[in-house]
Amino acid sequence: MTLGQRIRESTIGRSIWRATDRATERDQAAGHWANFFLHIYPVKVRRKEITFRYSWYLGVASAVLFGSLIVSGIYLMFFYVPSPTQAYGDILNLQTQVAFGQYIRNVHRWSAHLMVLVVAAHMARVFYRGAYKSPREFNWGIGVVLLVLTLLLSFTGYLLPWDQLAYWAVTVGTEMASFVPLIGDTVKEMMLGGPVVASSTLLRFYVLHVAVLPVALVLLITIHLWRWRKDSMLDPAKEGVDVDA
Amino acid sequence: MSTPRPDQENPEIIGGQRVLGVVPGKPPGGDRKVLDEQEPVMVWPHLLVRHGVAALVVIVVVLLLAIFFDAPLREIANPTLTPNPEKAPWYFAALQELLALFHPLVAGVLVPGAIILGLAALPYMDRSPRIEPRFRKVAVATFTIFMVVWIILTIIGFAFRGPNWGWVWPWQEWYGEL
Repeated sequence: MTLGQRIRESTIGRSIWRATDRATERDQAAGHWANFFLHIYPVKVRRKEITFRYSWYLGVASAVLFGSLIVSGIYLMFFYVPSPTQAYGDILNLQTQVAFGQYIRNVHRWSAHLMVLVVAAHMARVFYRGAYKSPREFNWGIGVVLLVLTLLLSFTGYLLPWDQLAYWAVTVGTEMASFVPLIGDTVKEMMLGGPVVASSTLLRFYVLHVAVLPVALVLLITIHLWRWRKDSMLDPAKEGVDVDA
Repeated sequence: MSTPRPDQENPEIIGGQRVLGVVPGKPPGGDRKVLDEQEPVMVWPHLLVRHGVAALVVIVVVLLLAIFFDAPLREIANPTLTPNPEKAPWYFAALQELLALFHPLVAGVLVPGAIILGLAALPYMDRSPRIEPRFRKVAVATFTIFMVVWIILTIIGFAFRGPNWGWVWPWQEWYGEL
């Protein structure tokens, strides 16, 4: 008996794992299906789908980058107050006084830029594979929303250091909204909380950045993955697929 | 719990299948299957191990970037001092470049709106189920042209624009900001 089996068959092991032995493929499939973490994955995929060539693993790379952003972002939140009088000083303090502050800020920054790149590349790869076609039209649409949310998350985060780079990039970016006919200025003032980038803008962008947008992104990623699993064995080129599987 | 039969107590597992008997002249795992790319394989371990490696590669890239490059931090925000050039984040550089070329209503509203709507509507416009490239020439050509133009505009707006949005050569003057 291997060590793994010994652990699983101990009293504590039996209380953790709902079955002690998953030997045959059928048992393993049942175990996979019943596992809290694994159940976001399909039990089986076509052999071609596990290759690098198929996906370039860009979907999983996006998810990993998002995870890195959550972890590093939570750390940064401990040392940051979203007010024009404090924000910039907090960043300076973070970089010089806080343990690993500069490093974690770097991780957050480069993860964010990479996530925009990787999400866009994921979309391109899915396009060239033709993977948006029936029955996956809706999941492609969710992907488009996820791309927009990623851009908004990056853009709202861009303002938070409250330096010249942040201030004027957001001024230019929100200027575009004011070109919308009739409602443009209203939209812009709603985003900024006033006619120009100021303290209310910083607070709005912060709340969007650390609460509203991440929650929306998590929810949509969940639906995106669920739908991927549901459609995973469906192939438009083949007839007789079991849609209710 | 009933006592299992001796032959079931330690079943022999070959290739994920419990061996019930062996046919003389055949390998115990059955005839070797031809590896078909349409053949389903178990996600654990085949896909999850690959995803694990991909995740590690991504994490290493991020951790290395963070070691070698510091995130930029300029002077404190000053609403009375407009920098020149005034640059949007790099992923909006193509839009900013378009703003310099077209009316703001076109570049700032119609183009981005059309891109988002066009992407969302793509699967409903392209109804052909064929995924082989030779059946998708129009779709692939359209998407590729759009993507190449967008990348070029992004690079121009990001690296080739200087004061007053004038043309600069990035190896002479650098105004790109990350």
